[in-house]
Amino acid sequence: MKGLIKKDLLMIKSNFKTLGLVFIIYVILAFQGEMDISFAIPFLGSMIMMSTFSFDNLNKWDAYAITFPNGRKNIVISKYLANFLFVSLLSLIELVILFIIQFTEHKLNPQVYFTIYTMFFATILFQDIIYPIIFRFGIEKARIAIFAVIFSLVIILIGLVKLFSFKFLASLLSIFENHIFLSLTLFLIILTLVSYKISKKIYLKKEF
Amino acid sequence: MENILEVKNLTKQFPGFALDNVSFTLPQGMIMGIIGENGSGKTTTIKSILNIYTNYTGEINIFGLNNKTNDEAIKENIGVVLDDTFFPEILKVADINKIMKGIYKNWDEALFHKYLTDFNLNPKKMIKTLSKGMRKKLEIATALSHHPKLLILDEPTAGLDPIARSEVIDLFQSFIEDASCSILISSHITTDLEHIADYITFINAGKIILSKPSNELLDNYGIVKCNEQEFLSFNKSDYLKYKKNRYAYEVLVPNKQAFKNKYHPEVIDNITLEELMILMIKGEG
Repeated sequence: MKGLIKKDLLMIKSNFKTLGLVFIIYVILAFQGEMDISFAIPFLGSMIMMSTFSFDNLNKWDAYAITFPNGRKNIVISKYLANFLFVSLLSLIELVILFIIQFTEHKLNPQVYFTIYTMFFATILFQDIIYPIIFRFGIEKARIAIFAVIFSLVIILIGLVKLFSFKFLASLLSIFENHIFLSLTLFLIILTLVSYKISKKIYLKKEF
Repeated sequence: MENILEVKNLTKQFPGFALDNVSFTLPQGMIMGIIGENGSGKTTTIKSILNIYTNYTGEINIFGLNNKTNDEAIKENIGVVLDDTFFPEILKVADINKIMKGIYKNWDEALFHKYLTDFNLNPKKMIKTLSKGMRKKLEIATALSHHPKLLILDEPTAGLDPIARSEVIDLFQSFIEDASCSILISSHITTDLEHIADYITFINAGKIILSKPSNELLDNYGIVKCNEQEFLSFNKSDYLKYKKNRYAYEVLVPNKQAFKNKYHPEVIDNITLEELMILMIKGEG
């Protein structure tokens, strides 16, 4: 499986220049305190990682990977792990940059670290929803699903706000206030496990 | 002699096509060539053996182990070249080594680099910049670099020029010098198989129409070239197929010598695999 993860990470190497540029823009904007683009970085990473599915599809990689002694299960795990590692790495770099900026400006604000975690959470959440769709329908059809998922989430959120009002939702979330980090992490772990199980079930039966 | 591969009653349904009760065995130390026209079921057979296709019936044993229950252990000892699947093209040649080190326990870095040198493959090049022939060589180098015991090759010489094909065929022959190793190879280039295959399995429309040692096939089968009058004198049970050309008949006989003794035809030629394929598929009778 180590080899499979390495393959995905090597595939995105060509995107490192783009990412470097995004980080430079991010640092400049963060130093000026004009705009926070921290939300974009892990998400961008996840989208780059998703492009590996397109290249796999183009070269019919899956059929080849199945001939290796790793088993189908590990092909699925490697996709989840590669994305997790890459998004974690980007979030960590972001965290370090932010800490340096705040430290040099003597304005330590723990709230921003939570923002980074929230974005990490949202990115993994997105992965958990979209990966089973990619494994089932392939990346090309899943692209439509990506937009459908984002659109549905926005509609659901607007619907919830309209139905229950912002205050009610905020008070609902405040139940977890003291343990929000723990609650979100636990939720994410469970969701990722469920997502992986669904993807595995799909992939074990799939023919290429 | 131990069988390295046993395929028993392999059946796989597709809309409009079925692989129907395919059975054959590949003994250890031997090369088996699979021939057949496009869409005959060669790739389906190979993909079923490798569990790329899962929804089939029948039994497949490799190294004496069931291929479904021992998938990972079996694949540690198999090297594969498939017709149109490989590493994503945005990777570099050298990346394959980095990846495969983490996949095969027996991955031999030095051997992989030796093949790269032998095949003039530049490790710094991206896969997408390689010509079709160079890419095929890279696929073969990758398949051989973990010391497999069985090579499963689907059209491995497609796209190679005659010199490269000869190099690759030599490589397969030296691979088989280790008597514990075997090769299952499907190819349209039947002359390659005539040079190296110990067994020939012929698939047509999803069915095996023959699976025999190649020397038995090439020594015994023959083509009788005759006129219509001569052809009409032949008993139908003594030939397999015939083809009527403009001025003559070509008749495929399963036993040249017996046919010669019975009918004393003027011309009875040795057969090539290509002629055998054409007559078996396009011939009448």
